Amino acid sequence: MTTTLTPSPGAATTPTPNSRRRSIPVWLPAVAGAVALAGAVGLPWLVNGYVISLAATGLVMAVLAMSAQVLVGLAGLPPLGQAAYLAVGAYTAATIATVTSLGPIQLLAATAGGAVAAAVTGLLAVRARGTTFLMVTFGLGELVHAAANAWAPGGSEGVHTPPVIALPGLPAMVRPGWVYLYVLACTLLIGVAVALLVRSRFALLLRGIAAHEPRVQATGHHPGRLLLAAYVLAGGIAGAAGALSIAVTRYVSPADAAMGISALALAAALIGSGSMTGACAGAILLVAARDWAGGLLAGHGTTLLGLCFLLLAYLPRHRLADLTCRFPWRRP
Amino acid sequence: MTTPSPHPNTNSPLLRLEGVSRSYGVRHAVDEVSLDLHAGARHAIIGPNGAGKSTLLHLIAGTLRPTAGRIRYAGHDIRRWPPHRRARAGIARTWQHPALTRPLTAAQNVLLAVPGQRLAALRTDPRAVAAAYQALTQVGLTDHADLPAARLAYGDQRRLEIAVALAGRPRLLLLDEPSAGLTTGEITGLTQLIRALPADISVLLVDHNLDMVAAVADTVTVLHHGRHITTGTPTDIRDHPDVRRVYLGATPTSPPAPTNAASACPHPTGAPVLRVRDLRAGYTGAAVLTDITLDVRAGRVTAVVGRNGAGKTTLINTIAGLHPAGPGSDIHLHGRSVAGLDTRARARAGLGLVPQGRRLFAGLTVDEHLALPTPHPTRARTVTPRQVLDLFPALAERRHHRPDQLSGGEQQMLALARALVAAPDVLLLDEPSEGLAPAVISHLAAIITSLANRGTAVLLAEQNLPLALHVAHDIAVLDRARIARHVATADLRDCPDQLHDLLTIPATATA
Amino acid sequence: MGLDGLVNAYTITALDGVAHGLLLFVIAAGLTLIVGVAGVFSMAHGTLYLAGAYLAWHLADGGFTGLTLALAAAVAVGALGGAGLAAAVRPLTDRPLDQVLATLGVAYIAADQFSTVFGAEPRSVDPPQAVAGSVSLGAFQYPVYRLGFIAVAAVLAVALFWLVERSRTGAVVRAVVADAGMAAAIGLRTGIVRTGVLVGGGVLAVTAGVLGAPVIGPAPGADTTILVYSLIVCVVGGLGSIRGALLAALGVGQTLTLGVALAPGAAAFVLAAAMLAALTLRQRTTLPGRPA
Repeated sequence: MTTTLTPSPGAATTPTPNSRRRSIPVWLPAVAGAVALAGAVGLPWLVNGYVISLAATGLVMAVLAMSAQVLVGLAGLPPLGQAAYLAVGAYTAATIATVTSLGPIQLLAATAGGAVAAAVTGLLAVRARGTTFLMVTFGLGELVHAAANAWAPGGSEGVHTPPVIALPGLPAMVRPGWVYLYVLACTLLIGVAVALLVRSRFALLLRGIAAHEPRVQATGHHPGRLLLAAYVLAGGIAGAAGALSIAVTRYVSPADAAMGISALALAAALIGSGSMTGACAGAILLVAARDWAGGLLAGHGTTLLGLCFLLLAYLPRHRLADLTCRFPWRRP
Repeated sequence: MTTPSPHPNTNSPLLRLEGVSRSYGVRHAVDEVSLDLHAGARHAIIGPNGAGKSTLLHLIAGTLRPTAGRIRYAGHDIRRWPPHRRARAGIARTWQHPALTRPLTAAQNVLLAVPGQRLAALRTDPRAVAAAYQALTQVGLTDHADLPAARLAYGDQRRLEIAVALAGRPRLLLLDEPSAGLTTGEITGLTQLIRALPADISVLLVDHNLDMVAAVADTVTVLHHGRHITTGTPTDIRDHPDVRRVYLGATPTSPPAPTNAASACPHPTGAPVLRVRDLRAGYTGAAVLTDITLDVRAGRVTAVVGRNGAGKTTLINTIAGLHPAGPGSDIHLHGRSVAGLDTRARARAGLGLVPQGRRLFAGLTVDEHLALPTPHPTRARTVTPRQVLDLFPALAERRHHRPDQLSGGEQQMLALARALVAAPDVLLLDEPSEGLAPAVISHLAAIITSLANRGTAVLLAEQNLPLALHVAHDIAVLDRARIARHVATADLRDCPDQLHDLLTIPATATA
Repeated sequence: MGLDGLVNAYTITALDGVAHGLLLFVIAAGLTLIVGVAGVFSMAHGTLYLAGAYLAWHLADGGFTGLTLALAAAVAVGALGGAGLAAAVRPLTDRPLDQVLATLGVAYIAADQFSTVFGAEPRSVDPPQAVAGSVSLGAFQYPVYRLGFIAVAAVLAVALFWLVERSRTGAVVRAVVADAGMAAAIGLRTGIVRTGVLVGGGVLAVTAGVLGAPVIGPAPGADTTILVYSLIVCVVGGLGSIRGALLAALGVGQTLTLGVALAPGAAAFVLAAAMLAALTLRQRTTLPGRPA
């Protein structure tokens, strides 16, 4: 199948006059970012504990959405199994938690765990393209889900973990506000790393593969290896999300590898249509729709999520992509 | 520029093919081709459709592996090297259709190919940027460096592709149909660009535009049915008797019968069944056909001839509705416009298609192929599969065979039979003689003539000029996206040389 | 005795595997044709099975009347569901990712409604009392319904195989799979074939749900399980191929039963390895740059 699944080619073919690009002042994104950051940091003092834990969940999903975006936004491969690596990371972190409660160590271990799992399964996944890639990653994710039920510590009941310690010498974080701030700091850190990744030559090659794979091959690169590297990186980011997930819930179960989590991450990445910030915003939006608005509507969060997916499918997403592409990508 | 070859033996060729073959089952796309390419050469490969030119380029670039033979490049046997390794060794290439990463800017496209950059680099190496801009300057695209590739004009996209190839500092540049879809002015620019390439880059190009080939290449190789016919200077090739034969097709074994269709036409003044007016069509911005006007009358065979890449297949597919027609195009069938109808409705209205490459349904038996089309109940003429099979006795014996179990001739007969079961009023035949033995071509000619005698209007797109002259009542010559001439066959049969210049290498090649 | 030699714990498990395999085939045959013909990867395919299973649970009355009623309702629900999906993906032609999102959205909404209406706990569906007992095969007891199910599913599989591989209707479908453009050029209604395959696949999936409810019962999450296994069958068997789907379904059925019995926990790896092998082999046959 030769169909390109990324929204970005359509976005780039629609003309974007230079004058419109310049109509957004340079300082505006910076100011908006600063306001958002200040709001995010100040959140624990503004809202109740329930909303704070929701916000922390939103941040975890934002990290997972970035992981999905590395694949779909850069390499043009839509993954529907990223939750599997989140679960692998969470179980790794839970295992480490029996030794140390130090958050950063759990985070590193989970990242490594997710990356290793992605390296093994990626050998299969990167052979497929387009819809087949989606089907294969979906199958892999569900197989990991099934394997977790059978093999993981705690079985289908899951494992409980002690509260995480952010830095040596600090007390364990029990109150949701502190957990939220820890997750926020980690998310920002991962965000900076991803931002660097997106600006690298590696990312340029990935975008080249998404648009025309033989072209990149003919310039002397091995697309399969580059895609595997991207898959491993995405798996690592998803694993990091797993460590953050147990910091928030202090609990991991095979349900963390469920298809619904993967689908949410992919949908969030598609809302972002190529942009990492957009993917994070999409993830927070979807979590808000599923948990917060769903809670208001007597627990019908799943229906709301389904409606979001339908909306996403039928809305002209290319317009949205055009909007994000107006912020110029890095220039050589 | 002095180019000391890294290899000790400076006289050995840069690229040497030794008996290279590529076969798909029984079909040999490339059959034992041997070729030497010396450093600094400007070598062209020409040949009619299906000659294996592009396949040969794929074999050298590594996107296909040869089934036999050896490929030596700069002293190494690269037969088993993957494409990216060959690219790193200095083999750069372009594709038939512009292969660009369309969302990226022109400069980014070129930067992808500049070697020696670190993967993790966050800031692009200034030397790489300088190299990229140098490549853009070479093709004259510096002004558009910051435009996304998708927004460049088609001709600029082709030049950008060459810039991408040049940015890899190649020693061997493979160009696949670089002039396809370009205007005459753009082809002149491309010719100058290739001529101005530094002497340390060897160029191997495949092209249909023989004027350009003559102007660019110092050596020309002619392929036919995957086989090497001859290699020589453009002048040698022009005068080579085998080459003319290759381009004009095998003469049917039987000479044109004196009582052939042209003189015994039952509908001499039949009203046109199919009228094509101002038809235009193109691919990704490149115009392939402009202002095509054509009438096909009941009981008559109209042949469209032209060089490879002249747009014959696009014309047939556009009439059948498989390719979108440009604005203003008008196609009338029985006086009713079908331009707004989809492919299926056109088939129902009486268009029958025998496409290029046959396009049989893999996995379906002969019987199933013939059971699929159903004539429209409102149509007067009806045909049963049995009647059609009577025309093709060879098929009748293979009713339970699948396409891959049939010979090339039988496959063509099946494609023809599939179209005839629907009892079409207009039969569109696209290169029916491609890849067939002379005896089968004669049989085909007889069938086409008998179909016309029964009142079917036939539009035949054909490269095989003797076949076209043999069966057609009138011939339209397609050249540079338009119909250059449209004449009665009788006027041509006496002096077929009139057409030869339009179909083979022109005698007045631009020097 | 030969029979006693044949009947042991493993052959009984293998028989279960045949039941699972045939059930998967009936479901996945629809999905593989939907992907092959219409190019739609329908994430709502498992939902249709679940709808059938809940139908069987809701209408079960311990006799054949309930089963017959459920089967009749299944045909109607399946046809409606298939037609609805066809209408839903029609505006999304050539946007496969949006088709996935749209069908996924439908699946989510349906799953939520199911658990609201039928409850969040798994429901067990009893077969009609006449076939509720078990027969002895050698030293083992085997449920009668399951034997009957194998027979019915085998008949369904043979009928489906005949319809697709031998009848003119099947030839039309396979022609559209092979070359949709050319199929239109000889006057076939490719649009109607697409819709028809979605409707047919829907009817098959819901019917399989009614018949298979005592084997794989209705529960929240069963839709995803069924979707995954039928998807693996499609990937291993090759998109659009009925033959491949039959072989792959029987293989997956054995992996899920006999494989689990022989090597617990290894099933996931066997299935992943099968997908890897299928993808690798198929990649060899479709090399890029092959001349047309």
